[in-house]
Amino acid sequence: MDVTREIFWNVGNVALIVYILSAIVVFILVYGFYKRVKLWRVGKEEKRGDFIWERVKSVLLFGFGHKKTLNETYPGISHFILFWGFVILFLGTLIIFLQEDVFSPIFNLFFLHGNFYLWFSLILDFSGALAIIGVLLALYRRYVIKPDRLDNIFDDFFSLILILLVLVTGFLTEGARIAATRPDFERWSFFGWHIALLFNPSWIEVASLLVWHKIFWWVHLGLAFLLIGYLGYSKLLHIFSSSLSLFFRSFEPKGKLKPILDIENQESFGVSKVEEFSWRQLLDADACTRCGRCQDICPAYLSEKPLSPKKLIQDLKTNLLLSSKSLKKENPEEKRPHLVGQSISEDELWSCTTCFACQETCPVFVEHLQKVIDLRRYLVLMEAKFPQELTPMFKNLETNYNPWAFGFATRADWTKGLEVKSLSEDNDVEILFWVGCSGSFDDRSKKVSKALVKILRKANINFGILGNEEKCCGEPARRIGNEYLGQILIQQNIEVLKNYGVKKILFTCPHGYNTFKNEYPQFGGEFEVFHHTDFILDLIQKGRLKIEKKINGDLTYHDSCYLGRYNDIYDSPREILKHISDGKIKEMERKREKSFCCGAGGGRMWMEENLGKRINQLRVMEAEKTDAKTIASACPYCLTMLSDGIKEKGLEEKLETKDIAELVASLL
Amino acid sequence: MNIVVCIKQVPDTETKIQINSDGSGIVTEGIKYVVNPYDEYALEEGVRLKEKFGGEVTVISLGPERAKEAIRNCLAVGADKGIHLNDPSFEGSDSYVTAKILAKAISEIPFDIILTGKQGVDFDNSQVFAYLANFLNLPFVSVVMDLELSSDLKSVTAKREGEGGEKEMIQIPLPAIIAAQKDLNQPRYASLPGIMKAKKKEIKNLTLSDLDFSADEVGEKGSRVKVKNYSLPPERKAGQIIQGEDPTEVCEILVKLLREEAKII
Repeated sequence: MDVTREIFWNVGNVALIVYILSAIVVFILVYGFYKRVKLWRVGKEEKRGDFIWERVKSVLLFGFGHKKTLNETYPGISHFILFWGFVILFLGTLIIFLQEDVFSPIFNLFFLHGNFYLWFSLILDFSGALAIIGVLLALYRRYVIKPDRLDNIFDDFFSLILILLVLVTGFLTEGARIAATRPDFERWSFFGWHIALLFNPSWIEVASLLVWHKIFWWVHLGLAFLLIGYLGYSKLLHIFSSSLSLFFRSFEPKGKLKPILDIENQESFGVSKVEEFSWRQLLDADACTRCGRCQDICPAYLSEKPLSPKKLIQDLKTNLLLSSKSLKKENPEEKRPHLVGQSISEDELWSCTTCFACQETCPVFVEHLQKVIDLRRYLVLMEAKFPQELTPMFKNLETNYNPWAFGFATRADWTKGLEVKSLSEDNDVEILFWVGCSGSFDDRSKKVSKALVKILRKANINFGILGNEEKCCGEPARRIGNEYLGQILIQQNIEVLKNYGVKKILFTCPHGYNTFKNEYPQFGGEFEVFHHTDFILDLIQKGRLKIEKKINGDLTYHDSCYLGRYNDIYDSPREILKHISDGKIKEMERKREKSFCCGAGGGRMWMEENLGKRINQLRVMEAEKTDAKTIASACPYCLTMLSDGIKEKGLEEKLETKDIAELVASLL
Repeated sequence: MNIVVCIKQVPDTETKIQINSDGSGIVTEGIKYVVNPYDEYALEEGVRLKEKFGGEVTVISLGPERAKEAIRNCLAVGADKGIHLNDPSFEGSDSYVTAKILAKAISEIPFDIILTGKQGVDFDNSQVFAYLANFLNLPFVSVVMDLELSSDLKSVTAKREGEGGEKEMIQIPLPAIIAAQKDLNQPRYASLPGIMKAKKKEIKNLTLSDLDFSADEVGEKGSRVKVKNYSLPPERKAGQIIQGEDPTEVCEILVKLLREEAKII
């Protein structure tokens, strides 16, 4: 007896019907998918056709490899085994198809037998079992554990149950076949063999077994076809849409907003209708699987503000679907919910701190941030609608080039008594120290500027500042959505810097650093930029800065979003801290890529925090748990927010905040 | 409805004012100029009236060439036309002459209501609206915190703040002059299309001869107030913090200081 099995055993001559049905369901699937593609294509053009090999690698690594999905053990593994179980089952089905309809009839070649068949059976059985475990884990998590971040709709339930039934009926069919034929080698079909043992001849005759097999077979086939057809119209579409999202992911620097080009000659700004997003941004609406990881990590959501990144993407999707109907009609405005104000509230948009945690954690590279900024741009530039406390902030930026009401002519006042030279006096310097608005005007941050001056002098660095010629770097205005004001400031700064022939710039503020590094090149400003944490570490390592003493007391380190997540500077500050302290750094629970925002990014520094809890207080309470005495940080916004948080929580006796430059300078 | 808003370009409120060497004026170099903040409330009210009742907002300003920028800013937030009273001989005009020139220019255009700020934050004279009312023979209400137009558009009810903080409700027939206080409204920020459109809006330039004045009627020559000399106010002394553990003791020192040094009790 040959070690194999007969395809279409016991079900008669049904191949033709099966193939016709297959063609129909595949058509249904493709049609559903085609309709989605058409839906995304209402968006504007966006070029994502470069780096093809990198894109393929993304799909392999993050799709097939589940690299980000596996960052969380339970959901990661349950999805991983379900995914791979199905991939292998699909390949198995493909092999059967090739055997039956290609190699056998055309080449008269028969390979599905012998050892190959045994291994084939074993692997497929094993995959089916893994997939069942995966589905059961998912069902258990979704309906028994019920994590907050999952919202359950019928689609979720139906999809999981359908998958489960397809798998179970597959095993039942196999079990019935093995029970009826009983070839000993089918022990290799491990699970099917055990199910076959259930169909014991003591209670079921072979004749009725054959009937049952036929029923199982048809039910299995029907459910499988239903599943395939359903794919294109349900959350299961993410198999394709999320893969596309991985393929078409952004390879731009994380901290780079898309500029509005030729802004003076545009007529509309930002996004107020779905079709004003790019096709790639609309693809996100279907790539998102509502897994909720972004929501779990979002400082706005966790501080009980109206924003959830997951909800934002889903609301966009709902609007897209509702709009798609009216987009086709003659009157395109008919019965269309407003994207801003109805589908997505203004409060949601203003709650975002642009901390990037949502995008960093998203397993399928959904791009939340640019959307928030695009919608804010619409509100600010087209409607001039924004929290009213931003009006003076914008006006201050316009007239005095800083977000607070300080006269521009007082920008260099902090240098009094320090004799820091400005480039207007002498531009023959090794590096320009970009002091920034906080470093120039904010009393707390001025201390950091002074500390850095001390460090630079100890290390004999020939540096200068722009003094009163320095203007806001434009970052807060851009993040708030005031692209026009942001671009004006950027252009003016670039002009001054080019006049002085500046090549290297040193920052204490990660926001200035990020915008100079990643966004100024968009406007023709190419400079070599350094954040003071990298710079100071380099000075220490090269021996230009000698530190003999150590800091007393334990330290914890708070990662700034724009330094860490945006620019991957996690290690330099920690290395410096190791250098200058005795003990280890007492890390907070959320650190590095998962660090929790101070609450001030995205222009939130200048907005009231009237909704929910205060983000800075949540962070300070987390720091308190480490029992460290000092929260070290490397960003003026963080410094302000954490200092305020400590005061608000009455923890002045227990905790203090220091910029890394201050800690280093105190030892010199 | 024809709405006229008189605005002035003034140094930004954060400017570090410096007196020039001979004390005849301030150092203008490096000064950033803005629309007088009180005039912004007047403008906002004007634009709101237009949005509610229809019509046109004309912004009018007397000042050197740079004042065009201020007028342009007003056009960006919703004014329709600009008139720039711009002649070298206008320089040095006091409130009286300024109002005289404004009155002449305004009398040549249709108007139902004239709005302006309660004072310019540069010289803080708070006189132009009153002179203007006199020249145009119109009623006026100053320091207006709330404004309501009657439904027949024939009169306004204005809530004003008196010297002692008391509130007065005054009803006057239109046309009238309203001088805005800061609580009148929340001035809007210009939208970008607004800024772009403003670049194309007309600003009419009117000179001495356009307004039929002779040179000695305007500017310093025509003015009744002459500034002899400018000087900075004395620098404020640093505050004093009374140290001490015992509140009674601290209070005693405080009372002593208030009596003997500050001499206010």
